[in-house]
Amino acid sequence: MIQGMINSFCNLFKKSATIDFPNEQMKISKNYRGLINHSDSDCIWCDVCEKVCPPGAILFLQNMDGSKKYNYNPYLCIYCGECVRNCPKPNEALWQEENIAFSSSSKKEVQDDWFSLEDECKIARVKYKEHKESLKKSQKVEQPLS
Amino acid sequence: MTKVLNVPLGSQHVALLEPVSFKLTTKNERVVEVTADVGYVHRGIEKACETKFKFKQIPFVVSRVCGLCSITHATTSTLAIEKLLNLEVPKKAKYLRILALELDRIHSHMLCLAHTAENAGYEALFMRILRDREHVMELQEILTGNRVHFDYVCIGGVNRDFDNDLNSTFEKYLKIFENFTTEIKELFLNNWSLSLKYKGVGAISADRALEQSLAGPLIRACGLKIDVRSEFDFLPYSELDFNIITSDGGDVYGRNMVRLDEIFESIRLIRAVINNLPEGDIQTKVKGNPDGEAIVRLEAPRGELFYYIKGSKKPNLDRVRIKTPTFTNIPSMIDMLKNQEYANVPAIIASFDPCLSCTAK
Ligand code: SF4
Ligand code: SF4
Repeated sequence: MIQGMINSFCNLFKKSATIDFPNEQMKISKNYRGLINHSDSDCIWCDVCEKVCPPGAILFLQNMDGSKKYNYNPYLCIYCGECVRNCPKPNEALWQEENIAFSSSSKKEVQDDWFSLEDECKIARVKYKEHKESLKKSQKVEQPLS
Repeated sequence: MTKVLNVPLGSQHVALLEPVSFKLTTKNERVVEVTADVGYVHRGIEKACETKFKFKQIPFVVSRVCGLCSITHATTSTLAIEKLLNLEVPKKAKYLRILALELDRIHSHMLCLAHTAENAGYEALFMRILRDREHVMELQEILTGNRVHFDYVCIGGVNRDFDNDLNSTFEKYLKIFENFTTEIKELFLNNWSLSLKYKGVGAISADRALEQSLAGPLIRACGLKIDVRSEFDFLPYSELDFNIITSDGGDVYGRNMVRLDEIFESIRLIRAVINNLPEGDIQTKVKGNPDGEAIVRLEAPRGELFYYIKGSKKPNLDRVRIKTPTFTNIPSMIDMLKNQEYANVPAIIASFDPCLSCTAK
């Protein structure tokens, strides 16, 4: 019991085990798996990252002029790093940083409309395919005429 | 005069934080009848694995079955898929898998010990164990890049290499682990008030344990040498002189001792892995789609984890069946609660290390 009292007394002066957040930042180790970043200029738009992503946190929206728009949802991402490992140009087109997404209170930030975007991407892809096919057909029709 | 009382315990109830509900019928403080409902957190993961995800994504999906043994789920499913693909995994990857598995075992056992302490009414010990457990989480983060969901194992090997400059970091952390485990063990061994809640409480005989096919530290606490790690050679445990830890008595005290000693054994295994780490690649290339059926068993922190996987040369699997040790242990938990004093019930439940997310998956 006396030992217990001594221990309790000593504990009063020990450094606290918790972090005084937000005054003190959390310790994040090197190579922590955080947010995914993308560079439009380096990407070759192969869509591999979209296909391998387990939760579907990367979406490419097809535009009618052939270009694509990269969309990323950090609140759906499980930070597995699979996309970066499979990207043909890792660390150039796609890389993982050491920061994570912070919690958010606004609907816009947490990408509330992500699932409608998913549908939009699907539709855009089908439309683009049709568009391309019709272009091809019209080219074929044009050829004999000329 | 005997008074019969029905006491609900659990599922969004203050007395038990896990999403499980027990209905206890008590007669004068003694439990006579128990019913349990474990289906509160069913997420349909098995079905999702068959329909929504390709086989390469399965390890990432199943590791979300449970936050405590996520690496065991990922490794077991990976081993099963590798079996179907006839992949030969580099030796270094196998060793690194053991490293991650054993680190996971340490933190999982510590959480269980903390909960047994808490449910025995020793809140301060709970906090203390969790404080020390934080070091284990840190080391896991250093090794894999995340505290909880490691996503370290992939089909064909592991995702990250073990740099040689990690050696000294590991040694530093392992020393810390050894120190605090020794201190905690001292408390669990000698604290008089803890022994009141542990010794002889929730005891089960070895025969009965076999009959009910208990798993993991629970059956080893009955003195039986049953451990999947020594039965299979999916992972090279035999090269590391793996010992099965047992205790006797089959009570809460015995289970705590098994867990504590297993922490020491895991620390030893981690050292052995680092010292004997082979050179070479950490991944092989994956070709083709899985075809056929495979069964893999692996020792999770809570006991034997079982995976059945069936594929037919398609990217999607035909069937994924997961049998978790916690689910196996539920019937004997119900059995054991009978004839116990009501006050001992939380400690017994905690000593089973129940994990409802993997029971219901
Ligand atoms: S880290 Fe994983 S979940 Fe996140 S975008 Fe990449 S593949 Fe998808
Ligand atoms: S995998 Fe890499 S190169 Fe291909 S689309 Fe994604 S970011 Fe671009």
